[in-house]
Amino acid sequence: MSLVHLEDVCKTYRVGDQEIRALDGINLRIEAGEFLSIIGPSGSGKSTLMHLLGCLDTPTSGRMEICGNDLSRASRNTLAAVRNREIGFVFQSFNLLAKLDVVKNIELPLVYAGVSSSARRERAERVARDVGLGDRLSNRPVQLSGGQCQRVAIARALVNNPRIVFGDEPTGNLDSSTGAMILQMFKDLNSAGKTIVLVTHDPEIAALSKRVIEIRDGRIQREYAP
Amino acid sequence: MNLAVAFQTGLREISAHKFRSFLSMLGIVLGVSSLVATLALTTGIERGTRAFMQQVGGLEFVSIIEKEISDQMFEMSNLSPGRTLRDAFAIDSSCPLISHVSPELGFAGVVSAGGHSDRKQISGVFPDHFVVSRHELLAGRFLCDLDVERGARCAVIGDSICELLWPDDDPAAVVGRTILINERPFEVVGVLPRYEREDEKRQRAARGNKNYSGRSSRRGWDAFRRKNEAVLIPYSTMFYEFRSGVLPLDSMESARLDRLTLRVGDLGKFRAALESVRAALNITHRGVDDYDLETREEWFDRMESSIRATRLSGGLIATISLVVGGIGIMNIMLASISERVREIGIRLAVGARGADIFIQIIVESVTIAFIGGLMGVGAAIGLIKVLEMIAPTENVPVMTFDAVAFSVVFAILAGLLSGIYPAMRASKLNPISALRYE
Repeated sequence: MSLVHLEDVCKTYRVGDQEIRALDGINLRIEAGEFLSIIGPSGSGKSTLMHLLGCLDTPTSGRMEICGNDLSRASRNTLAAVRNREIGFVFQSFNLLAKLDVVKNIELPLVYAGVSSSARRERAERVARDVGLGDRLSNRPVQLSGGQCQRVAIARALVNNPRIVFGDEPTGNLDSSTGAMILQMFKDLNSAGKTIVLVTHDPEIAALSKRVIEIRDGRIQREYAP
Repeated sequence: MNLAVAFQTGLREISAHKFRSFLSMLGIVLGVSSLVATLALTTGIERGTRAFMQQVGGLEFVSIIEKEISDQMFEMSNLSPGRTLRDAFAIDSSCPLISHVSPELGFAGVVSAGGHSDRKQISGVFPDHFVVSRHELLAGRFLCDLDVERGARCAVIGDSICELLWPDDDPAAVVGRTILINERPFEVVGVLPRYEREDEKRQRAARGNKNYSGRSSRRGWDAFRRKNEAVLIPYSTMFYEFRSGVLPLDSMESARLDRLTLRVGDLGKFRAALESVRAALNITHRGVDDYDLETREEWFDRMESSIRATRLSGGLIATISLVVGGIGIMNIMLASISERVREIGIRLAVGARGADIFIQIIVESVTIAFIGGLMGVGAAIGLIKVLEMIAPTENVPVMTFDAVAFSVVFAILAGLLSGIYPAMRASKLNPISALRYE
């Protein structure tokens, strides 16, 4: 069974009395263990697609199954539960909570999963060490470099042991050498068996993955293996 | 998400914006402190009033007073013997609902002892008097039936009399001494305690000395003056020593009483008891309507309703300021969530449900209200200290646990209600637009 299964998915937005078709008949399957890139110019619909795949939104029409849950008409709470258990996000702008230290930031998904506070701390510290932040546990995000922030974000994405990790331009705010390091982490995760989906506009980054999907005007224009 | 985390997050938010949080608490602080202070004041007034009511004889106390006869009955007025001891006997034997009857003869005489003397009102009483007037005993004993039977020369005196005659002695030590009433010796067999209002007790305690020489005639009318200045002797002694021969044909039974008071045994049958008294008096007064029953009902009702009015208006003011405080919290919470849209978006993205966000905002606003409530209680304690000094009433404000708990719960409720709308707004945020929000 595929982790992600989209069947003729459309997403339309209404702006005033104008209807904008952001996604138009997307068919996509993602299997466990894949390393997929979604590329396309801005306005192509790749962000909308990622929001759907990341369970932040539901499609206007079509069928969407993620990790065995039919989410075509799912409620906000169901989406939240799937996001919490099955999906980890890594954003371009890190999206860490500035008021919390590293451990507390990493703990965040576990808080909403109802894990007890001692178990939360233990799991968060272990993941922090895995991403190489063992010595910065009680720092605030402002005290960290961009690369460290992104590693915190990766740790947060991994802490609840999700099946899919999404990266939304994860290297966009980083210099090229740190970016390469972060990409290497994604690669390592994939070799360890995680399903990775990267959204990027940079074909070079996409070239690192095993399968590339190119989106244009809300449709899958091209699919290839680099 | 569990409440402990929500609470921690709330505390962190509050301490991150201390001044802003304090401003939003201010309304609650003022509301709670005024509520607690108002409740304390009215409780003080209420306690003082109730104690006062008890000491002046309570609701059971009924006084039979003389009334002007109407013009139509003027011809018949001589038929009535007026208030006499026969009235008391008649009530005593025919009105089972009346538990005690106290007829009194009065006489203004010179009381002297130990080199001091003054003209005082002397009362001749029966033992029932001590029950009807709710006297307590500081030392010695009350008058008894045997004193009345024998016409004994003994007296029970009030605290002010003790101070007048023996200003330096302990009132309890004067039992057994002799006083002169119009040069006739009487033995002091009992001494009454000092009856006073709360504020007088407080002032005396503040002065720390016992020889407070206020003759309880300071401002206004003093309800306890009569009780404190009492010189009580047996009824029969009074009649034979001082009253016989004032009017030639008087006997002890036919002498006109100066006071006739009684005590209703069961307040549940108050009306019926009064009716039976009227029936008895109608016979002894031969149908002449020259008496009236004076009860404390209206007087006490007025006191009660003024207490209620005070409490209501104070409570209303406090409620308004609590509502204003709640609006303040709502305002701050709305500002706070629009500042934290991105944070809420991140929380939603990692799997927070709308309910989690809702709970967090509610917990924050309740925490603000609770801290504000506690500060309000602290402020109320200070406020009450100030009020005690400039006391607008004669009563000490009494802060009860109930009042404090009620006010804090009320504050929490205000926080809860004012948190609902901001919490709903926060929990309905769309995660995608919240994440993009700058």
